[in-house]
Amino acid sequence: MRWNRDAARNPYYVLVLFGTLAICLGQNPSAQIAPGQTVNPAAPLQPAAPAPALVMIDAAHGGSEPGALLNPAIPEKDVTLTFARRLRQELAARGVSSTVIRDNDATLTTDQRAEIANAARPALYVCLHASSLGTGMRIYTAMIPAAGGDNRGPFVNWATAQSVAKTRSLWIQQQITTAIRNNRFPVRSLPAPLRPLNNIATPAIAIEIAPTTESVSQLASTDYQQMVCSALANAIAAIAPALRTKVPIQ
Amino acid sequence: MIPRQLFIATGVLLLVAIGMSFYLWRLRSSEIQNQNTPVVTQHVAPPGGSVEQVTVWVAYDGSGTLRTQPVSIPISSGRQRRAVELLRGLVELYTAKNSPHPVKATAEIHDVFLIDPGLAVIDVNSALVDGQVSGVLAEELTICSIIQTLAANIPGLTRVKILVDGKERETLAGHADLSGAYDVGQITELAKQLSSQ
Repeated sequence: MRWNRDAARNPYYVLVLFGTLAICLGQNPSAQIAPGQTVNPAAPLQPAAPAPALVMIDAAHGGSEPGALLNPAIPEKDVTLTFARRLRQELAARGVSSTVIRDNDATLTTDQRAEIANAARPALYVCLHASSLGTGMRIYTAMIPAAGGDNRGPFVNWATAQSVAKTRSLWIQQQITTAIRNNRFPVRSLPAPLRPLNNIATPAIAIEIAPTTESVSQLASTDYQQMVCSALANAIAAIAPALRTKVPIQ
Repeated sequence: MIPRQLFIATGVLLLVAIGMSFYLWRLRSSEIQNQNTPVVTQHVAPPGGSVEQVTVWVAYDGSGTLRTQPVSIPISSGRQRRAVELLRGLVELYTAKNSPHPVKATAEIHDVFLIDPGLAVIDVNSALVDGQVSGVLAEELTICSIIQTLAANIPGLTRVKILVDGKERETLAGHADLSGAYDVGQITELAKQLSSQ
């Protein structure tokens, strides 16, 4: 449209001009800033990221690495995967968010598992193993001293990364052991030279599940899996508020 | 007509030949049997009978615990030789019938190297590792039993590294970490926990 002196005198044009100005000011955030308020001009507008899962469950072994042959028909990798999926369900039923590192028969090295856990930074990393030896559950923490790693500021030594979270891991181990023992289920707590526990920079435990009877096939029984995962989920759900806060535990 | 003496001599010679043949056949059979039997290294005491009593830490799979047990080993002049004899004494318990922590019959300790200051390197054969029950607790019991037996009887050790057939290995049988050296203080603490539970 060509602007001329007559147009300025036209009330219709003036109305359109003011209307457009008002709309532009309404859409500009800077027009609504109160005096003294600051805005970061570099902050991008992004959709809210989903909250990270509180618990990360790692079914040990998998793929070309079967773990122990509990009997010729039951490799450890299959048992750990079943327990991991069931534990995820049980935690979800109690309002505790969790994720599994391996949800199929994939081959993952212990370093890859540690990398995934360290990138996600869950409040608790739980590695599941199964064994024909002994009875009930064994709950392990890494066999390294608390705060004994060669960590320099933000740089955490890979071999002793767990040392920064060892105190919290020990507290979690103790809480879960006590909760399960109160259910009259056989449980022991021990340190273990087991990877990738040493390489994980967040609280981490490993749980080895054994049958309570002479028969190792109990590990493949749905009832037994349900009972074990239910007891574990109850114990983890009981400490979930403390896990969410991430405050140092004395 | 054949003389009587010749007849008797021929008969005696024939009997001797048959006897010799039977003896040779028996010798051959026993030799074949010996070749098929695997050689099991038995560590016997020296002829003088000089042995010493030592305490070893024995793993019990049934209870998932460690227990101390006295065993006799040959007295050795050197510290390194004594370390080898100690661990061979322990492994013999594991290869024996009705072992509380079974491993393959051919399992053995190749050597132990004591490197100052305070480092011991134990070289085991793959039969000891491959014949072992796989699992966190089972492997932890093996490691703790070997290192605690060594550390309790050879003073001054602070770290222990385990090799398999002279090479580094990632894990013992899929679980226990063998990539680094073990701290003797931590193993002693673990041995206490495994003995008490």
